[in-house]
Amino acid sequence: MGKKKIKKPVLEEKLVELEHKWKRALADYANLEKRVAKEKEDFVNFSKGTLIIKMLAVLDDLERCQRHLKDEGLNLSIKRFKEVLKSEGVEEIEALGGDFDPKLMEAVEVTKGFKNKVLEVALKGYLLNNKVIRPAKVKVGGGK
Amino acid sequence: MAEENKKRKEKIMSKIIGIDLGTTNSCVAVMEAGKAKVIPSAEGKNTIPSAVEPVKNLVGEVAKRQMVLNPENTIYSVKRLMGRRFSDSEVKKTQKMVSYKVKEGKEGMAVVEVNGKDYTPQEISAKILAKCKADAEAFLGEKVEQAVITVPAYFDDAQRQATKQAGEIAGLKVERIINEPTAASLAYGLEKKSGETIAVYDLGGGTFDISILEIGDGVFEVKATNGDTHLGGDDFDEKIVDWIAEEFKKDNGVDLREDKQALQRVRDAAEKAKIELSSTQETDINQPYITQGKGGQPLHLSMKLSRAKLEQLVADLVEETMKPVESCLKDAKIKTTDIKEIIMVGGMTRMPKVKQTVKDFFNKEPNHSVNPDEVVAIGAAIQGGVLGGEVKDVLLLDVTPLTLGIETLGSVRTPLIERNTTVPASKSQIFSTAADNQTQVEINVLQGERPMAADNKSLGRFVLDGIPPASRGVPQIEVAFDIDANGILTVKAQDKATNKEQKITIKGAVGLSDEEVKTAQAEAEKHAEEDRKKKEKVEARNQADNLVFTAEKTLKDAGDKVKKEDKEKVEAEIKNLKEVLGKEEASKEELEEASKKLSDELQKIGAAMYQAQQQQAQGGPQQEAPSKKKGKKEDKTKDKEKAEEGEVVE
Repeated sequence: MGKKKIKKPVLEEKLVELEHKWKRALADYANLEKRVAKEKEDFVNFSKGTLIIKMLAVLDDLERCQRHLKDEGLNLSIKRFKEVLKSEGVEEIEALGGDFDPKLMEAVEVTKGFKNKVLEVALKGYLLNNKVIRPAKVKVGGGK
Repeated sequence: MAEENKKRKEKIMSKIIGIDLGTTNSCVAVMEAGKAKVIPSAEGKNTIPSAVEPVKNLVGEVAKRQMVLNPENTIYSVKRLMGRRFSDSEVKKTQKMVSYKVKEGKEGMAVVEVNGKDYTPQEISAKILAKCKADAEAFLGEKVEQAVITVPAYFDDAQRQATKQAGEIAGLKVERIINEPTAASLAYGLEKKSGETIAVYDLGGGTFDISILEIGDGVFEVKATNGDTHLGGDDFDEKIVDWIAEEFKKDNGVDLREDKQALQRVRDAAEKAKIELSSTQETDINQPYITQGKGGQPLHLSMKLSRAKLEQLVADLVEETMKPVESCLKDAKIKTTDIKEIIMVGGMTRMPKVKQTVKDFFNKEPNHSVNPDEVVAIGAAIQGGVLGGEVKDVLLLDVTPLTLGIETLGSVRTPLIERNTTVPASKSQIFSTAADNQTQVEINVLQGERPMAADNKSLGRFVLDGIPPASRGVPQIEVAFDIDANGILTVKAQDKATNKEQKITIKGAVGLSDEEVKTAQAEAEKHAEEDRKKKEKVEARNQADNLVFTAEKTLKDAGDKVKKEDKEKVEAEIKNLKEVLGKEEASKEELEEASKKLSDELQKIGAAMYQAQQQQAQGGPQQEAPSKKKGKKEDKTKDKEKAEEGEVVE
């Protein structure tokens, strides 16, 4: 011990405090390890997701174009585009005709029709590995 | 005492989260290992829309998505009602703005009615806080029971009390309610300032607040606040939407605002353009097939929006924020020159025009390095950390300010511990001798960023001797660096064959003044190019030297298995390379050229030997000197006496 004698209770208190801080640090680390593993996995999907979201806007345009042009070549191109997306784990949200589900869709308009039914899809929604990357924008029936 | 310890334990063992409970969006953060970190929501976003559908218990993004369908049941902007009486003018204003029903509840307080049931603003806010809590628990992997929640500086007692109640309903013990501008100041570490006056400019999605604070000894005093409760990012978006629609109408005669679906696309495009123009000068707004013309033909939206045009569109909105700023200064009885720091909060402050206007007004660069959407939550988390004992006397882990390494062959600095490594840290590497029968090595411990040993600071040196005589590159000498948490560096060298070791302890390898670190880094940057050339030359020289050694050894080992004329050719090239090496001023190119010639000849011998299938294990042909194993210097005999470091074997 040093020149100054520190009282036992003070030391005990300090010991308890340090022990807890140490445990806290260990816990933080253990949790971090778990999270890092999960984040690594998420990161791959996420980075893919940001690119795919941008590509979806292009697909929307092509589909709008097709609705107008009705060109067979363009049709094949869109099909191929979708196949590529599918192979990457992208899936279209089936919204039309079903019940409105805010977990997968965003209501943009309420129109005449069966209550809570999706009557029209204004913008297709997509899932990436079963997670929503873009909710479908839909028109929903308001009843009456 | 035991009871107290137990209490303390509970307090320390559970995290206190910081929540920015906003009008439009909310954000959660927590202290982790001494740093505040924003907690992403279950939906993967850093902020949560402050929207609630209480019947089906939908909160955040999900509640927002069904708002159009369910406008009477979806509560948003409830913060505007918190702790206010129904007769309050702000409540009346909000009532006109929102689509749900606001009415008078118990004791004249404002409540909302959903599906025939009354909800207090506290209950609605509690649902947002409960989501914050759940998301934090999912992120941290542990229970969260305590929180620090922020409120606007102008909130009165009743509003603060209501916010606290909301936390309690959500199952959170509200450790403290702090002011949003105070939280933002904490995020910038301003609590250490004393006697300074600062301004916090907060332009969010739907509200604008300006606060003047005085900081003294860690205490924040609000001198004055002002603002506009109905001015924010949404108004900016609306200006852009109007402009797009007007331009489109001029060209096509169709008003996009009358086509709901088109309007939705224009809104999205306007927000995207606004965000893009914070970092670019011009952006394209392209929405093909946006609507149909009068004759049914498809119409496309395609225009350019420049930053200058955008600034012109929103100039009056930005200007409007300055009036409250002026009044606020007046109320606080201070001049713009008295303001030492300006802090920017809210997503809209990313707009260059906003930054510039604020800068021009105060004649000072505002602080905007912390994400303005997250800065308040971060500050709240820091406050939580202080209360939880995590921030105060937290064990601050230091970092090595400069790279630590040793001198190796050719006066090259070989780094062992890179700069910015968090200490305690240790690292070891195997080195070898540079000359045959070398019995000792000298370890010169270096600190600095320059590749050549002499340009760095030598922290100390020592000699490890008693290495059993062997060919160069054979002995294995492990050099281990170890820095403890106090910055004390121990360097140990051990001969793996004899286990003989030698070490040195150096204090102050970590403690450097900022000035010293800056100087060292600036030096390294300044000399980067010439240093690189110098190092490359030394490397070429080391490689050439090693090649000579290999060639001589190969010839010796091969003996008479090699044709005489081949042997002579190699000998000639060895002689040539040695001559080049002998010249101090020989360039990297000269060395490489001579090395290549020798290497080519040597390969022929190797090939011939393989063909003869007489190759022996130790006399194998060398295609090229291994780059990692550098040779010794030309004057071998002279070097033998001198202790020298070898190169990495591993």
